[in-house]
Amino acid sequence: MAFAAPETPSRVHRIPQSKYIDAVRWLSPVSALDRFAAVAYYDTDTNSPSIEIICVDPNPQGSSPTLTPQSSWTPPSRISSLKTAHSTHQPILAAATFSGSIHILAPDLINGGTVESEATVSELGFHSGPVSAVDLREGGTECVSVGEDGRVNLVSFVGDSSNLNYRRIFDANGLVGYTAVKWASPSEFATGGYGFGLQWWDQRRPGGPVSQFKGNWCQGKTSGIVHSIDIHPSRKHTCLAGGSSGTVFAWDLRAQQQPIVLSGAGTGEAPISLLSESEVWEVQYDCYTRSSNIGNITSTRILPIMICSEDGILAVIEQGEEPLELLAEPCAINSFDIDQQNPSDVICSLEWESIAILTRS
Amino acid sequence: MGLMVLLIRVSGGDLLDGGVHVDDDADLDTRWCCEVGAAVYPFHHGLKSPISRLSISWSRGNSLRVSVFAAPSSVESVEDDAGGTVVEVKLGGGDGEISDAHWRRIAYGSVSPFALLQSRKNAISSLSKMSMNSSPYDADWWDYIMEYSKDINALLGSQKPASVPVIDDPKSVIVKGEEPTNLKAAWELLEMFYAEKPSHLCLPERLVDWLADFDSLFSGTHPTVHSKLVDFQKELVNLQVVEDNPKYWEVMSSALAVGWLDIVVKMLRLHGSYQLDQLSNRETENGLVEAVAVLISKMPRMRLDQEAGKLGECFKAKPDFVKAREKWRAQINKLDSSAFWFQCAHLQTREGLRSMLQIMLGNANSLCSATCHWIELYISHLLYIRPLTVGLESMYSLAQKSIQLKPMASAHRLMGLIIGILGENTEVVLAECLKGFGPWMVVHAIELLTAGSDHAEMLLLEERPNLGGINIEELHRLVYAQVLSSHPLTWQIAPIYLISCMKHGMVLLQILLSKQPVQHNQLLLKSIEICRLYELHSITANIMKIAGVHHWKHGRKGSGVFWLQQARDEYRLNRIAQQLFDSVGKTISDESFKQWEGLIQLLGSDSKTAGGLEFLHKYRDFKKSLQHVFDGKTTDAARRAVESLISLMKNPSTPQRFYLPLLYDSLKLLNWKDRPLLNVSQTNLLLTKLQDLSLARLRPDFIESELPPQALNSVRLALATNLGRAILEE
Repeated sequence: MAFAAPETPSRVHRIPQSKYIDAVRWLSPVSALDRFAAVAYYDTDTNSPSIEIICVDPNPQGSSPTLTPQSSWTPPSRISSLKTAHSTHQPILAAATFSGSIHILAPDLINGGTVESEATVSELGFHSGPVSAVDLREGGTECVSVGEDGRVNLVSFVGDSSNLNYRRIFDANGLVGYTAVKWASPSEFATGGYGFGLQWWDQRRPGGPVSQFKGNWCQGKTSGIVHSIDIHPSRKHTCLAGGSSGTVFAWDLRAQQQPIVLSGAGTGEAPISLLSESEVWEVQYDCYTRSSNIGNITSTRILPIMICSEDGILAVIEQGEEPLELLAEPCAINSFDIDQQNPSDVICSLEWESIAILTRS
Repeated sequence: MGLMVLLIRVSGGDLLDGGVHVDDDADLDTRWCCEVGAAVYPFHHGLKSPISRLSISWSRGNSLRVSVFAAPSSVESVEDDAGGTVVEVKLGGGDGEISDAHWRRIAYGSVSPFALLQSRKNAISSLSKMSMNSSPYDADWWDYIMEYSKDINALLGSQKPASVPVIDDPKSVIVKGEEPTNLKAAWELLEMFYAEKPSHLCLPERLVDWLADFDSLFSGTHPTVHSKLVDFQKELVNLQVVEDNPKYWEVMSSALAVGWLDIVVKMLRLHGSYQLDQLSNRETENGLVEAVAVLISKMPRMRLDQEAGKLGECFKAKPDFVKAREKWRAQINKLDSSAFWFQCAHLQTREGLRSMLQIMLGNANSLCSATCHWIELYISHLLYIRPLTVGLESMYSLAQKSIQLKPMASAHRLMGLIIGILGENTEVVLAECLKGFGPWMVVHAIELLTAGSDHAEMLLLEERPNLGGINIEELHRLVYAQVLSSHPLTWQIAPIYLISCMKHGMVLLQILLSKQPVQHNQLLLKSIEICRLYELHSITANIMKIAGVHHWKHGRKGSGVFWLQQARDEYRLNRIAQQLFDSVGKTISDESFKQWEGLIQLLGSDSKTAGGLEFLHKYRDFKKSLQHVFDGKTTDAARRAVESLISLMKNPSTPQRFYLPLLYDSLKLLNWKDRPLLNVSQTNLLLTKLQDLSLARLRPDFIESELPPQALNSVRLALATNLGRAILEE
């Protein structure tokens, strides 16, 4: 498999951390000079998880970037999912844990990045077992959480009470497990789960998913789990998903049961480029569009997307084109985040206890 | 109170021999512990009541799990006092020089160079098998070995000084770089002797460079030239007239003896006679100082390349070097016997400079008194007495002589390693690597040891019956893989080392993968990914089965079914199907149907992977068509409902306990107003099934469905009526 080589090589820096990194996210900046990121660490020596706010100095005197820890907060257990909301005056983090709790954090980036737990939901019966995914709604007043226990919960934090109230949207009683979730609009969101199944939910029509994308569409040959979903704000009808066996596909709600396979397990029709054969841990729309392609993209075409995988690939996929490989690490890339303000910058967490910062030029 | 001391006796082979001593008073004679080779690990158990029982087992990695049980309090039961506690005690303090996290970083980084070298080795050996006469040790081979060694060396830290000051401070004689580590020093030794192409002509000079980089490592246990320099550096700031201080001359002689020429020349230039106001009346003295400085900086050296800014003149060919050296020595002799010395009024300068000349002339006594430990003495001999020493044998005998002159007060791990290397004793080298630097070092050093030496290769690759038929190389790889496997973060790189073990690697890899936790999908999928890479399909299936049962047990039915389906485990799917049907019978009402929808979709229509669960799929279809009948009441919909009813009743996978509920649900179809929907044979089939059911109900394990008591009768009546109507119609 030949990959298209990037025209201009990007700069990559790998920064060893001496702790395992469960998740990493950019924070929306408060000033033009400082760049901040939130990192969920897990220290195996002491069995202690932590969420740290780090200041990223991308280029101190021409050498490699430095990460300076600003503050730290200790969650009750390891972080299973970490999300940020961008369009808020102060960055807001939603962290879900393996012990089944959700924490809303609002780091104060102006005054040394102190993290305070704004609110917590951890009561018995919120989720049984780990929360597998959480997503913050843009604007940051609500988040939705899902778990393999089949529960879909809506947590709203408009008030200033430290104990949040949550509303159970659905409980599948474990008959269906959900592994990924993403907001599409203030009232709609999508979830993903086993057998590459996707569900579309609308709060205005309660009682279950409004629409289901049938799982097992690849006829049992290679089935898998959806690990990550993304929905572009301008294409709310298309739900992008990445999962097992290098599979990246899009579900267009207008064409109900026909997936648009971008990589991995094909439906057997056209030979589809195989970027990776292992788990695709995260997918995100890549807003760093190359100039030649602007205007070329019609509304039926899937926008460029970035993926990271277990076999160490970070790549950009465009429909109908050779994938562009940005990184090929000897170890897994477990998560990444594209900086919304500077989309050329990508931060990745690597399996071998390090963070990679990639700057595309 | 609450403090306990765990005493572990460790036998020679680093094995716990079970002798665990527990002392509640923490009043131990530590000297006794050291004598018997025991380690003491105090820990807090925090229990107030006396201890009645203790249980010790291995935890993950190097940790012991100590369970402490308190004696049941007989008098009064205190609510807040726990009845026992479990404490993890981590054994071994690790390497003081390198933290655990740093070791992991080294372990991660060495994976790629090791794997690359193995694949190149395999390629070469398969190539040499094809063409019998070509030697595997060709030019490329040495390039590969060198590349490997450099990659590993780079992981152990860089030797570059942290920052070069813009303005050179004349009084700073030693530049502080990154703290050197013993590990890097040891690797550079191995690289020098085993990885570089066998050109031992330049080895003496390589050793000089090595000592210059790493002499500070010996400072902890031995007096060194480096520590002398560091001490003098502190004094230097406060000295007005350096040449009056005897230490100035002593330190310079020492530095000269071990060949740190630029430091010596820099220090000589600090001499007071260089100062402008004194230059006129100390002209001869200054001339002598400068003459020595020039001679030092012109010293001929037998080496391939010279770093910029380093002093000495380089010669690559032996005859040129010998000629230059003779000329240089003649110049020294001439200076030594010149008349200018009588005109030099400053006594310390005269004596100091002349003793430096003696060092350059190779006076054994001067060298011995100028150096601090045997390696320094050895280096000085290589520099000034026998610069043309070639071959390990003569180097080894010279080292023995140096040790006799300066016996080791205490052993140092690097010294042991040097002796092993010079003595060409592979066993000693391996033992020193293992003892001093641990299993990582041994595994990666073996690649260098076997690179060029047939003898070492024979020794390390020979299969040994006392090791269970494996060779020493495999033994050490297995040991290292075990170390990696014991840590939750490094276990994923253990497979790289295990698959390079021909005999036991694969089996141990299978065991390792089978033992990984399956609770969380991410970890589970990482294990499955490794199975996929090494094509261990049966292990994949096993892991999936374990995961499936785990999720099932914890109420995540969908996840459980998915994993069992992936494992194609029909047996377990059928078993859990029986359990699922129990809840189906109760909950599959119209409003809870959405919960089931997702699971049924997951099951798909492929009956092979669904096991007995395909019934659910059909049942859902039947329920749906029945729903249509109730909504629309069209005869077409009713016909379709009958068809799915008949296919359900015919299907052997339909559990008997569902016969009656199915028929009871279909009462409306059986009593269809317009005309009978079932023909004679269909009705007979349903009647037979009803007969089967009444027989089945006699069995003790039959589960009765929750239906009104008159259900059976109404179904019977409906069937009989339908039969009658059907016969009439036919």
